[in-house]
Order: sequence, then structure tokens, then C-alpha cells
Amino acid sequence: MALLTAPARRRRATRVPPVVLAFLLIPLLAEAFWVFWPAIQGFYLSLTDWNGVAPAKFVGLGNFREMFGDSVFRTALLDTVLWLVLFGGLSVVLGLGAALLLQQERRGVGFYRAALFLPVVFSLVATALVWQAMYQPDGLIDKALGGLGLGSWAHPWLADQNTALYAVIVPALWREIGYVMVLYLAGLKGIDPALYEAARVDGANRRQLFRHITLPQLSSVNAVVVSVVIIDSLRSFDVVWALTRGGPYHSSELLSTYMYSTAFQSLRLGYGSALAVVIFILAFGVIVSYLVRAFREAD
Amino acid sequence: MIATPPSRRRFLAGAGAASAAALLSGCVTSTSSPSGKGASGGPVTLQSNLSSPQAKAAMQKLVDAFDRRGGAKASLNTVASETFRTQLPTYLTSANPPDVLTWYPGSVADSYAKQNLLLDVSDLWTSGDLATYSDAQKKLCTDSAGKKVFVPASYYWWGVFYRKSNFAKWGVGEPKTWDEFLDLCDKLKARKIAPIGLGAGNGTTWVASSWFDYLNIRVNGARYHRDLLAGKHRFDDPEVRRVFDRWSEALPYFDPNGTALAFQDATTALLQGRTGMMLIGTFFADAAPKDALDDIDFFRFPIIDPKVPPAEEGPTDGYFASARTRHKDEVKELMRYMATAEAQETYLKGSSGTAIPVNPKAEDSGTPLVKKGRALIENASDITQFFNRDSSDALQPSADTALTHFLSKPKDIGSILTTWQRDAQKIWNR
Repeated sequence: MALLTAPARRRRATRVPPVVLAFLLIPLLAEAFWVFWPAIQGFYLSLTDWNGVAPAKFVGLGNFREMFGDSVFRTALLDTVLWLVLFGGLSVVLGLGAALLLQQERRGVGFYRAALFLPVVFSLVATALVWQAMYQPDGLIDKALGGLGLGSWAHPWLADQNTALYAVIVPALWREIGYVMVLYLAGLKGIDPALYEAARVDGANRRQLFRHITLPQLSSVNAVVVSVVIIDSLRSFDVVWALTRGGPYHSSELLSTYMYSTAFQSLRLGYGSALAVVIFILAFGVIVSYLVRAFREAD
Repeated sequence: MIATPPSRRRFLAGAGAASAAALLSGCVTSTSSPSGKGASGGPVTLQSNLSSPQAKAAMQKLVDAFDRRGGAKASLNTVASETFRTQLPTYLTSANPPDVLTWYPGSVADSYAKQNLLLDVSDLWTSGDLATYSDAQKKLCTDSAGKKVFVPASYYWWGVFYRKSNFAKWGVGEPKTWDEFLDLCDKLKARKIAPIGLGAGNGTTWVASSWFDYLNIRVNGARYHRDLLAGKHRFDDPEVRRVFDRWSEALPYFDPNGTALAFQDATTALLQGRTGMMLIGTFFADAAPKDALDDIDFFRFPIIDPKVPPAEEGPTDGYFASARTRHKDEVKELMRYMATAEAQETYLKGSSGTAIPVNPKAEDSGTPLVKKGRALIENASDITQFFNRDSSDALQPSADTALTHFLSKPKDIGSILTTWQRDAQKIWNR
């Protein structure tokens, strides 16, 4: 690309060779057919009332109007925001912490890195099944509490509307921290050690090193991490669905689980599509605004 | 570098035409018209949701037996039950649908029949095995336009199950009426046993609907129950409120882990004697150890109002066929075969054996439990199917939400029923 746009070759660049054109157009067509076209249909469906069998009925913005009066939608939106803050925030903070702890090459550090990264390898549904067994009444967690003399804390964690959402966040976090850690480890490896040496010569302490060298140097990784974490939290579905299905009575409902149950259980595909559009706008809006800011700063 | 502008333009035009064609043909909500074509080659495809290993093998045996007898051939395609459930509308509306599908009769089949998606099999019912089926089954398999659209194969029953040895140990017997039932609960509670196991947690929330169904059938009758689920009454009516008043009387006796355990775990608790009894369908026996099964017995859900004739839940499973099938005659041949005593016995022998064949001439597995179950259903004044089968799968989540809410906050029942009605209205209005 750099060659093509170089001034000396500008004249030739206007005539794109057919191979290049094919390489561009064929993926574009595939993408258009399997991604953009279904997405556009999703937008269209969000303006209809459709049960999957009878012909769809056009209702304009009726589905979006319904959302304003829908208390479950409000719960799901709030839970999604809570999820974004808790799951997103904690996985960034803890992932960075783990990366800082494990960045130095010490003996056995590889083991800890692998141990923290291991949950990422497991499928989330398998993870959820393991945690479900632990959360069971008489499961590992209740037994451990009993062993510590905290038997009165034993609890149907997933069946209580006050604890269900937090009980679901923990396994999701358990997995995400390892992923974020690896991203940050890569970022930390890329920092020029000369910067630290120079700062130490200038008499900087550990906190100043972190604040004035590590953090600014990580800003490009931060952009990636934050995007990944936001996307992951907004599309979090599998772990919630496998553990609680958004229940008990919507207390751990996220927008994604609400969308799924509306579309594929209640078979209200129009309203479900409208929820999907809201999720899309949220994710897209948050990420674009973040990336624009991040890149502006970088320039 | 032989690229010339005209060729590129032609290429783009071609690409544009291709994508335009894709746009025109691929609208998701479009419904293609039925082909209505008569015989054409290939076996009849039977799409089955019976994906548990035992049931899948039993279905394969059934299809093999059909193929061996000559004439039309069938091929079995088993789909994971959850996928099947969510994809069923897609199967039926696709231009090239599976020919025969496993599913439920009653209002569920009727909702598809109303969209002209099901094959009319009325002629099968005029003679042969199907003509000998009970009137209740005939009614169940008829759609609202009066056409027969379903061929039933087997049914199972719900009851309050317990371990005989435990009841003997605790010195208690089967209750007949609601008061005797509450009395029994009291006795068990005094022995520090959770009297009633539930199993409405961890993805099997729908089990709680059995309590709603039975209480409603006993308090308001089967007809009211069906009308309510069809949207002819309201969930915030005083009749429904009475159901929950009764439920509240039994609520202190429910296992506190009732909404935390899946029904499989709740049955384990029952078999281990940690809970006293459990309202459940016979399918729970699939996962129970064989030696425990001989110790299992059940009693009919207690009578609350003697004036209300006792109906029972007897969910029926069977087959319907797509209206767009390309080989109607072969499909009917397969469905006629599925209705025979021979076919139903073949399937039951291969499966766990707690289901009962619909064909009156077919033999069941003959265990005392199954004999008692068959008598229960045959003597019932009316048969209901289950919450989702008497309404729709789409209404089930609204019940799950309302009932788990009630189980943990019974005092909120007023607002719970208002919400339930509002949620249900959205489904009925679809």
C-alpha cells in the first residue's frame, strides 16, 4: 500500500491490477453476503412484528417505543451497564496487575502465566458448567464456607435474585483476566528498557516509573484492551445463559440474554431484532468514541 | 497489468448483478409458496428431537423396521432438542422442509396448522389403527379447522412420586385430598425432611409450571385451564389468584433449594431420602438408577375441590408432516406405520420404557408403575398436555418468570400476576 501511494507511482496506482481487485472484491462480496446483508435484514426486522411463521408486519418504530415502557428492558440495560463496569473494569485492573506481577522473568513465572491464561482456553460453556457445580447447594463453595465456620453464609447463589448477577460475573472475570493479562504482557515487553534506566538515573521511584513510563507507553495496548473488554462485555451471553438464563425472574438479565429469549423463546423476532439494534448501537457508539479519542491522542 | 477499464466495469456490473439477485431472493421474512408436487424419489426424511442416546437408538430401530417391511423408505435425522425447538418454525417454513417431524399435538400443532404448514392426514384416521384410538386422542389431533394434522405415538404422565421404603419407614401413606396432603407434609417436616422437592433451577425452571397446571386443574378445572392458556381469561383474574392461595398453603413445605436444583438433582435428593416427594413426569426415570426404580411409586395429585372432575396431565408425543412435502403418499405410509401397535412397541422396547403407547392394542412395558400410570390417564375425566403444550413454547418463559418470582416472594403475588398478564398479552398479540 505504501508503495502504491508513493508519489512516483501515483499514475500507475490509479489502474488497479485485476488480481488486487479480485482480492478486494471477493472478500467484500462474501462479507456483504454473510455479514452486511443479514445485518441490514436485522435492522429491517427491528421495524416489524414477526413470529417467525406468519408474514412480518411492519410497525415502524413501535418496537423501540415499547422498550421505554418495558421494565425488563430497563433491568437488562442496568445490568449490562453494571456488567460493563464490574466485568470490564475489574478485568482491566486485575489483568494489568497480573501482567505487572508476572512480567519479570523469574523462575516458575511461566507456570503462573500459563495457569492464569488456562481459563481462556476452555470453552465458556464448560467453564460455566464447572462453576454451576461449585455454586450448587452443597457444592464446593457452600462446603468451603461451612468448613470455615461460615455455614450461615451458604446460599443458593444462582437462585437468589440478589446474588445471581455477581455469581455469574465471577466465572466470566476468571476467564477474561488471563486474556487481558496476555495483552498487557505483550505491551510491557514492547517498552524500551532504556526508558526505565534513564528514569532511574533521574531518581524516579517505582510509582513514578509506573505512572510516567509504563502507563503512557501502554496507551496503544490500552486502546486494544478497552475495545476487547467492551466488546466482550456487551456480547457476554454464553456464561449467563449457561448459568442462569437471565433468571431468577430477570435479575441477571443482560441485553444479550434478553434479546435471545425474546427472539428465540418468546418468538418475538421483531422486538428481539430491535434489542439487537440497541446492543449494536451501544457497542458501536462506545467503541468508536473511544477509538476516535485514542487515535486523536496518538496523533 | 492487462487490466483495462471496460473489463473492470463489466466485472463490477456482474458483481453488482449477483449481489442484487442475492438481495432479491434472500429476504428473511419471505415465505415461499408450497410446492404441492406429488411423488418424487428419495426416502421420507423424519426429523427427530429425541436426541438422548437411548431414545435416538430406539428411533433408529423404528425407522429400520419401517424400511425392512418394503414399500417406502425413511431416513432419520436427529437434531439436538433445544436446536429443534428453536428451529422448528424455520424447518416448517423453508421451501424444502423435512417431511415428517416429531412434535406435540393440541394447541402447538394447531398454531402451525393455522398457517397451512401441516399436511392434512384426516384420511389416515378414517380406517386402520388410528380409527380405534380414543376420542380424547382424536380431539387432540384435530386442528381448529376440523382437519386431523397429527399422529400420536406415546404419552407419559405426571404424579407425585415417592420411595415406598421411605414412606414405610416414616409411617405415612398416600394422601387423597389436599388436607391429607398438607397433613402428610406436616409429618415429614416434623421429621426434618423437606417434604416437597421441586427441581425448578439450573435450566429446568419449566418444572415449576407443573404445580401451576395441577393446582389450576384441581381448583378451576381443565377447561378453564386451557382457556386461560389460550388467552380467553386473564392471569390477574380472581380464579388464578385462588390457585396461588392454595399454593401458598403448601409453600412452607417446599425444599428451600427447589429453585436452585435442576430436576435431575432434585430427583437424586428424592431417591436419597432428603426430600419426601416430588411432582414430576415419568421422564425423570431415564436418569434414575434401575434398582431405585423398583422402589418408586406415585399418587395422583390430591383432590382440592371434589366438585371439579379430576383431570390429569398426560403429555402426548407423536408426529406431524409438512404441508410442503414432495412425497405425500410415502409420508402417509410412514405415519400410518407409526400408528400401529407394532411400531409403538418397537420404540418403547428400545427407550426407557416409562412411556405408554397411544395405540390401545399396543402393550406397554408391563411394570406395576406403568400399569398404574396407564390406569390414571385412562380414568381421568380430561387430559391436559402441559403448560407449554397447551399454550405455546413462547408463553413458557413468562410462566417461568412469574412462578420463580412467586416461589421466592409469595407476598408479591398481586404484582406478579399483573406482570404475567402483560407479558402473556404480548405473546398472544403476536
